[in-house]
Amino acid sequence: MGGVGRALADRLLQALFVALLVGVLCFFLAEALPGDQAFRIAAARYGEDMVSGIAADAVRAELGLDRPAWLRLADWLLNIARIDLGVSLVSGESVFEELVHQLGSTIGLSLAALALSALVGPPLGVFFALRAGKLPDAIGTAAAAALRALPSFAVGIALMLVFASWLAVVPAAGYDQPQSWLLPTTTLALGLAATSSIVSRQATLAVLQSSQIAFARTKGLGEFDVVRRHAVRNAAAPVVAYLGVQLVYLVEGVVVVESLFAWPGIGHALVHAVIARDIPMLQGTALAMGLLFVLLNAAVDFACRAIDPRVRHA
Amino acid sequence: MNAAPALEVEGLCVAAGGRDLVRNACLSLRAGGILVILGESGSGKSLLAHAVMGTLPAELDWRGRIAIGGIDFGALDPKSRRAHWGRAIALLPQEPWASLDPLMRAEDQIAEVHALVGRRTWREARALAGRALGTLGLGSAGGRYPFQLSGGMAQRVAVAVALAGGARLLVADEPTKGLDAECRDEVAELLLSQARAGAALIVITHDIAFARKLGGEMAVMLDAEIVEQGAIAGLLAAPRHAYTKRLLAADPAGWAPAKPVAAANPVVEAANLAVERGGRRLFEGLSVAVCPGEIVAATGCSGCGKTSLGNVLLGLLAPQSGIVRRVSGADAHRFQKLYQDPVSAFASGSPLGVALDDVCRRHGLPLDAPSRILARLRIHPDLLLRRPDQVSGGELQRVALARVLLVDPAFLFADEPTSRLDPIIQQEVMDLLREVVAERRLAMLLVTHDAALAAGMTAKAVRVDARLDAGGTLAAL
Repeated sequence: MGGVGRALADRLLQALFVALLVGVLCFFLAEALPGDQAFRIAAARYGEDMVSGIAADAVRAELGLDRPAWLRLADWLLNIARIDLGVSLVSGESVFEELVHQLGSTIGLSLAALALSALVGPPLGVFFALRAGKLPDAIGTAAAAALRALPSFAVGIALMLVFASWLAVVPAAGYDQPQSWLLPTTTLALGLAATSSIVSRQATLAVLQSSQIAFARTKGLGEFDVVRRHAVRNAAAPVVAYLGVQLVYLVEGVVVVESLFAWPGIGHALVHAVIARDIPMLQGTALAMGLLFVLLNAAVDFACRAIDPRVRHA
Repeated sequence: MNAAPALEVEGLCVAAGGRDLVRNACLSLRAGGILVILGESGSGKSLLAHAVMGTLPAELDWRGRIAIGGIDFGALDPKSRRAHWGRAIALLPQEPWASLDPLMRAEDQIAEVHALVGRRTWREARALAGRALGTLGLGSAGGRYPFQLSGGMAQRVAVAVALAGGARLLVADEPTKGLDAECRDEVAELLLSQARAGAALIVITHDIAFARKLGGEMAVMLDAEIVEQGAIAGLLAAPRHAYTKRLLAADPAGWAPAKPVAAANPVVEAANLAVERGGRRLFEGLSVAVCPGEIVAATGCSGCGKTSLGNVLLGLLAPQSGIVRRVSGADAHRFQKLYQDPVSAFASGSPLGVALDDVCRRHGLPLDAPSRILARLRIHPDLLLRRPDQVSGGELQRVALARVLLVDPAFLFADEPTSRLDPIIQQEVMDLLREVVAERRLAMLLVTHDAALAAGMTAKAVRVDARLDAGGTLAAL
């Protein structure tokens, strides 16, 4: 299968490009932020009240922040070639170690949300399509559109208020018990499921009106067999392809949802790194999210290849 | 054996909003019989077939008696009618390559009918599917997906699929649409073999040569009515209705052969051409010259490179080897192309007049420049206010020709310009092209897969040789 090898090589090249672009971009964005970097780092280390000009100068001298920007960027690029992401300017810990720890929580949360949305979204979409134009379809489609229009922090806060504060059945935040997974996973999954149900509905409707389905009917198959054996798989191809586009929502959702529910993942760490002006940490977290995005996209590609022989043989 | 006729239709009417689309149709067909329904687009012949099948769109009303093998099929509610699909009556869809499931292997598409409709085990179903493919000469193609089948192969798979449920009545809706002459004969042979095996066939077509190949009975439809009915051989030999006569006269096979044109200095000339597309050699050692006032036909089966040859002469495609010489002094825009599908050659949202105005503006012509050409091509100016989807295919192709003539072409590449038109309209457009070529001393390359049409248009043809594998696979590129 030369096609698979080629697709893998393409993705690998893309990953390299993403790594370079994300690292350089993060560096310059952080440099461009207003305020004194050493002052922000000192604040993150010792607390806002304890910061003084002396502390900031000490940080500057220790981290070599007075060196020219291009020199510090070149350092980072040289190090990354040795798979060394440097150390956090705040904690002094290795960025790589911290990422390994956080990546697990983020991947866990992302996969749980994807799985939940896949269980809910596409089946609902097919259900709406089979009842197109009727009341359940109208209500469901409107609800999905409304849900997708809400930003994930609004959905998250609403869920938190109802289930953690009012009903008090699940913890509002944290990572320490199994129930902690419920709210962040649901918040992410709801947005994903809303979009995928709408896309699945459209794809199913298009397939049901196609000449393939007309032929499947006139050759004698019952409607259940027509849907089960032909409509679902043909509708799945565009839905899975769209998943790749949806992953942007997942990645941006992870940043917001992790911060909201104090989930110790990459997104959470990214926000803190921005506040603390911790450039190595910022580059490391953004890099990890970029690569995660490439990886998930590659998975979507391979799912498309598995479903559609035309892609496989193209 | 069931003595009842395979199909009996009496007083069948289809109407939309009070307007009759099929009026009072009566048909009868015995087992093993063939009924060809001939007529132009919009005459109601497809609706008649769909009424018999029970697949009319819900917004159409119909009434009349439809009996299949003695069952009063028409009296059943839609759900009970559907229970007979595949088992008593089957439909061979238009363009089968688009009707097969693109994600399922050919053999599985046949086997699932045996398993789910015929209630056999999957093992038996697969064996039956394999045997059906073998009978149709597709023994090795069972594992292929539809996009890996040629048009003719997809047609054979579709026939096996349609008949797998045991139906004894097959409705074939324009089964040769989009196929070239070789494939067309293959489909006729395929349908005849099904009839010999005892299936009754209704075949909808506007292709007279195809109808002649099939034999059997024929009904000619015009404006929602069957105007003439009888045995094909007799009807084609001695048509009584004026429309049938016109239809037969329009058949390229009956056109007077074209006379050769005196040779002159060629407008475009190519020597020893070799062309490849997608890494595959289409043809080599091909030479052709087109002189002013001359039509040269490029013939050959689909996929052999006829269109590529035209594009090479236009300069749109570079040949792998060989020389192309165009007459000196003619600007590049005077080498023009008339497309196969006029609908996709116009912007769908804007009136046709805008398309002509754009050409006038681009080439600095006065805005009344089209009027003389429009009059010559018998296009009513009001037509230009409409959008491409609001005019007929023949009218649209004439507007496309008017647009091309605006820039005073020296060479015109007409790429199957009538393959999507009915025979009578085809003849009108071809007559017009012939006149324009003579009047304007235009050099024209006419690509067609219809050898009879080529012979009627010109005495000078170049056969673009195809070198395909034994199965005729085009799609596996």
